[in-house]
Amino acid sequence: MSYTTEIQATARDLLSSDQVSCVIGYEVGPRGRTRPAFIYTADDADRLVWNQNCTHNLTTYLHQKLRPNGYTSAPAETERVAIVVKACDSRAINVLVAESQINREQVHVIGVACDGVFEGAGLGRSDGATLQHRCTECGERTPVTYDTLIGEPQAVDTLDSEHDLAHLEAMTPAERAEFWLSQFDRCIRCYACRQACPMCSCPTCLYERDDSQWIGMGNGLNEKRTFHLGRAYHLAGRCIGCDECERVCPVDIPIGLLNRKLAGEVEAAFGYRAGLEPIPSPLTTILSGKEG
Amino acid sequence: MTYEPRIIGFLCTWCSYTGADLAGTARLQSAWNLRSIRVPCSGRVSPELIMKAFDQGADGVLVLGCHIGECHYDNGNHRTAKRLPVLHSLMEFAGLEPERLRLGWVSASEGERFARIVNEFTDVVRELGPCSWQQNGHRPQAVRAILESEV
Repeated sequence: MSYTTEIQATARDLLSSDQVSCVIGYEVGPRGRTRPAFIYTADDADRLVWNQNCTHNLTTYLHQKLRPNGYTSAPAETERVAIVVKACDSRAINVLVAESQINREQVHVIGVACDGVFEGAGLGRSDGATLQHRCTECGERTPVTYDTLIGEPQAVDTLDSEHDLAHLEAMTPAERAEFWLSQFDRCIRCYACRQACPMCSCPTCLYERDDSQWIGMGNGLNEKRTFHLGRAYHLAGRCIGCDECERVCPVDIPIGLLNRKLAGEVEAAFGYRAGLEPIPSPLTTILSGKEG
Repeated sequence: MTYEPRIIGFLCTWCSYTGADLAGTARLQSAWNLRSIRVPCSGRVSPELIMKAFDQGADGVLVLGCHIGECHYDNGNHRTAKRLPVLHSLMEFAGLEPERLRLGWVSASEGERFARIVNEFTDVVRELGPCSWQQNGHRPQAVRAILESEV
């Protein structure tokens, strides 16, 4: 049985037995692109697919599904959804649970043992051969948390994830500043990176407040740099490295570099990698024991 | 005129701000380059404030708080202690000289320590020279490059 038929069967089961009200998965659109799909009835479950263009991190939709009233009230306890996740996406579930954004009981996680997704997926530019950068570095092809597992758990060889950082770190501060300024200069502040991010869940983004005296929402280079660095900082110890922000960026800013850098810093300082377990990031807690 | 750095100091009102007062009443010499900003706790100093200071032309930013275990709010400085190193490496990665940002602990009774930290930090920043972090609007070079390429 292929992954697609397994996912369809699981979704049909869950929907017909009323265990969930919605299954968030992938479908192939009319123009042949794989895109997110929201399935509400068992009859529609046939639309679901699995292929190596399933790049989107669907966990970003959980907020909308489980908190229809936003953050003014407690999550709707009755709502329950199922979601198709890859190994990387499943770590986002753990982070969201640790930060009390969602209840784990309200999510039926359909984990997929994935073989990596293709470069250009979701944009209709997939060549069907080249894996995305993050997939070549991925060490966990089996989801860390799931209720239903599709496929067999598998081990993979990993590459050194520091190699693209090393070349930047070897530069002088002035060269690095020049590199990042030329990147941030292209930013149009469309906030696509923020929208695609499952961790960016503030009801009002700090960087999109027009009443702030000290954070500009303008289009100057200063403000764009503050936005990107600040966003990277807010994701330190929380980013699970799905690189969706970088994929959706219309001007190809290598945001993933910042996130990987900080993930590395947090791992070096606290021995913590985001999302492996549903515990809060040590960056958001107080010092304990020998740390003091 | 010789170059003098502009330094922004975020001083916790319960310890280092009082420590600065003590340094003053004790007639200790400390560098006038420091512009102090009184904050309720070093934990109040968010990364955006620090970036704003550099954006507005600071050559160095000094964050001073209470020693660990002496925070007026029990654990505000714990957050600073975890936050600043991460911000430090982020700003270094983005092209800031790491010496321009420093975190220190000064209690209310340590006027002498306050003066020493400020003087040391000022010397280090003076040695580095003007900070190139500040950017005003769009970069003329980048704009010029685009214009030239289109002609």
